[in-house]
Amino acid sequence: MSKRRSCFISLIMILFLGSSSAIAQQKKDLPFPVTQFILRNGLQVILSEDYSLPLVSIVIAYHVGSINEKPGKIGLAYLMENLMFQGSKNIGQMQHINFIHRIGGELNATTTEDKTMFYQTVPSNQLALVLWLESDRMKSLEIFTSKVERAKVALIEEIRHRKTSDHYLESSLYFDRLLFPDFAYNHPVIGDEADLREITIGDVKKFYSTYYTPNNAVLCISGNIDKRKTIQLIRRYFEKIPQGKKTPPLALPEVLETKSTNITIENSLASSPAFRLGYRICSPYTEDYYALSILEYVLLRGQTSRLYRRLIKKDRIALDLSGGIEKKFDLAAFKIFVINNNEILKERSQKAIFSEINKIKSNLISEKELIKSKNMFKMDYIKQFETSLNKAIFLTEGFLTRKSLDDIPEDLDRFLSITRYDVTRIINKYLGEEKILINIKIK
Amino acid sequence: MKINLRVFCSLKLSIFILLSFLLTWGTPLVSQERFRRSPPYPEPLPELNLPDIESTTLSNGLSLSVVRRENLPAISLRLIILAGESSSPKSLPSLATITANMLNKGALNLSSSEIEEAIESIGGNFSSSIYPDYSIFSFSFLEDYLDDALEILSRMILQPTFPKQEIRNVERSMFYDLVMKSTDPEFLARRLFFQILFRDHPYKNMAYNEDIIKKIDQKNILSFFNKFYIPNNAKLVLTGNLNLQTASKKVSSYLQSWKKKDLEYRFIPPPDPLEELKICFVDLPQAKDATIYMGNIIFPITDVDFFPFLILNQVLGGTPNSRLFMNLRESKGYAYHAFSELEFFKSCGIFIVKARVRPEVSYASIIEILKEIEKITKEKIPSYEIEQAKSYLIGNFPLKIETIDKLSSKISEIQACNLGEKHWNKYLENIKFINSDTVSKIEKKHPLLSPVVIIIGNKNIIDYLGGFEKLEVYNRKGIYQYNISRGENK
Repeated sequence: MSKRRSCFISLIMILFLGSSSAIAQQKKDLPFPVTQFILRNGLQVILSEDYSLPLVSIVIAYHVGSINEKPGKIGLAYLMENLMFQGSKNIGQMQHINFIHRIGGELNATTTEDKTMFYQTVPSNQLALVLWLESDRMKSLEIFTSKVERAKVALIEEIRHRKTSDHYLESSLYFDRLLFPDFAYNHPVIGDEADLREITIGDVKKFYSTYYTPNNAVLCISGNIDKRKTIQLIRRYFEKIPQGKKTPPLALPEVLETKSTNITIENSLASSPAFRLGYRICSPYTEDYYALSILEYVLLRGQTSRLYRRLIKKDRIALDLSGGIEKKFDLAAFKIFVINNNEILKERSQKAIFSEINKIKSNLISEKELIKSKNMFKMDYIKQFETSLNKAIFLTEGFLTRKSLDDIPEDLDRFLSITRYDVTRIINKYLGEEKILINIKIK
Repeated sequence: MKINLRVFCSLKLSIFILLSFLLTWGTPLVSQERFRRSPPYPEPLPELNLPDIESTTLSNGLSLSVVRRENLPAISLRLIILAGESSSPKSLPSLATITANMLNKGALNLSSSEIEEAIESIGGNFSSSIYPDYSIFSFSFLEDYLDDALEILSRMILQPTFPKQEIRNVERSMFYDLVMKSTDPEFLARRLFFQILFRDHPYKNMAYNEDIIKKIDQKNILSFFNKFYIPNNAKLVLTGNLNLQTASKKVSSYLQSWKKKDLEYRFIPPPDPLEELKICFVDLPQAKDATIYMGNIIFPITDVDFFPFLILNQVLGGTPNSRLFMNLRESKGYAYHAFSELEFFKSCGIFIVKARVRPEVSYASIIEILKEIEKITKEKIPSYEIEQAKSYLIGNFPLKIETIDKLSSKISEIQACNLGEKHWNKYLENIKFINSDTVSKIEKKHPLLSPVVIIIGNKNIIDYLGGFEKLEVYNRKGIYQYNISRGENK
């Protein structure tokens, strides 16, 4: 009886809190409204209203990814993402997808090193449907051996398909093992065939109960919403989901022994030689990161970037050029990948890259080039909140990476205040002699 | 002692209510909340308020439309030239495409790389897309730079130089692009589909292969440009945080010297649909699956049957919940995917079914697709399927105009084909009124039953296609090779 009474009291408290203190203040500095609050079970909620179209996007992100996998369990995080579509207590297998398709909505999911995100955009009158679907799989996912085995087979098939269709995949995985410090950071998100075979239903259940909890998740809703009603709906569907235990802490990344590497590997699948060049850089959103991001545009973005102009347009020594900054949770690297016609052109391409890097090291870039790079950066940046879904992903990622949204309003200005001197300073500091170079020879 | 029965009953009732309340709300571990058992009912759908398309025609005949969208500090510009591949001479297909690709490759005192530089300096992106009836140039940039963007555009249009070296570059890149694509089964299927479906019609120009590219020279390009790139044959669409008044002032100041010229109006008659089933095969040795691409010519977008047909197509193959996918993939396990879609041009539309299937069931898959087509054209579609299709189309429409680029593309399509309000403000209304009867009354369904069927795959598939009366075999460039009749071995 006393237990029941306490339940009743807490219910009253929830209702009371719902209208007042649990909702934090509006953040006024972002170019769109944001409301943030946290449910009693620890679920972080972010809301952003936009009435331009009758659409709503719902993103739910669990703060778990390949980084949380133990050796021998590579692929568990991605397997879990797949199982989230295989049915929960009240929703049949693949029904989640059908429900969304039937109403003209779109959905997807993604697993990265540090997060697993599920997202959908639907007509805004269907918000409750999505919350019903998402809360059911957070609360009561049904994990059976048959489902796990089927998902494992599908994933193994996907790994094989990727290996045959992306001829440079092996070199990319090898590159990451050299560039990033330890197992947690340098193993592939997509999984490992041998490991996947060994993953048991027990592993999956443990992973789900440890990480797929409200206190390890962020729910972001952006679009045409009535804030009051939305909060009521969130409470209805999510508040009663029991809080999980605190997630186990991550080990700190190891200090790297190998500073520089220059190796050659043979590739039997690829038809053209190639190489990968990588530099370890500072953590995302620390002081130097902003200048490095502008440097990325100077060197690699667009058809007028230094390396594109030199390798593809002027010297015509490369068939393809790609790369840029790659973030892995709190670590990052600057990567360049070039495909060539032959070994001689490969060598010339490497020389050309180093010569372009050296030019920026010793000469300031022009004001005009800086403005161009910043404008291109700005265009890409603002497109991150062009649609309700982009905005929800932007806010969710921002929150997960930085633990709060407080810094985000000043973010763009930080990138745009970079000077020509910063660019020179930063390229000297990070794109130096310590580098990882993999030469890919065709067999 | 007398017990007040009414009080007791009401007390019992309130305890019961309280208990059940506590049981359902307070102790989730005992049983789950009732609302979790079934999907919630949707709220009424908020109205979709579409921005107005404000239009004017400048003194040189250039039509200008402005659509306001305020949520992004960027502008999306579309220049529509009302000449596409169907305007290329019959002997020189691809000329419209090469001309369009050359537009940003040089202007008076401005090299190709200086143009690139100028575009990227304003956060811009420039690209071209060529359709049978028109060519569209897409140019998006940061909103502070409208003047710079119009300056760049005007120099490209008013003083193009078409440098010979750049022509060679463009042709080389188009050539290699086509060579690369010749291992892509979807691309090969579409190209042969156009070639066979449009026979002698100007739309067949879309089906050119890499051999033609190098035959085109500066003279051809100049003559195409001078004939069709004129303001009275062009439309400009601007989407962003701006109004018609400002836009027309600015556009006039940069493009007023673009001179109007006489252009003979050319009517392209609608092509006739194929009357008989035709099966064509292309050998792609490395293909593991069979790619099926089949369909026929239907009415143009302006036809009264457009909206009911949209629903019919949706029920047949619009999504993974539609009949084709449910039958060929979910029920039979033949296909990786199976969808149907509609595409529209000025003179006609096309209906296409696309599927990727296991090679050994390619014949069975085609038969199954034909059965589904026959069923949908001859039997009345149940109301629930019609309603489901409508709810998909209505719910999905806003997603098609969510970004300024998507919005710009939609408006450009409306402007290029002179579609008007019916396809904009009245679009959803037109869908809402469709029911089972209106769909069953569509008169022009017969072409669906006699499609051309293109199969791309490894030549071993031919063994599985013996059920067809006749099979025409083409090579990857679309050149006819030989026939195989039923019972014949090749």
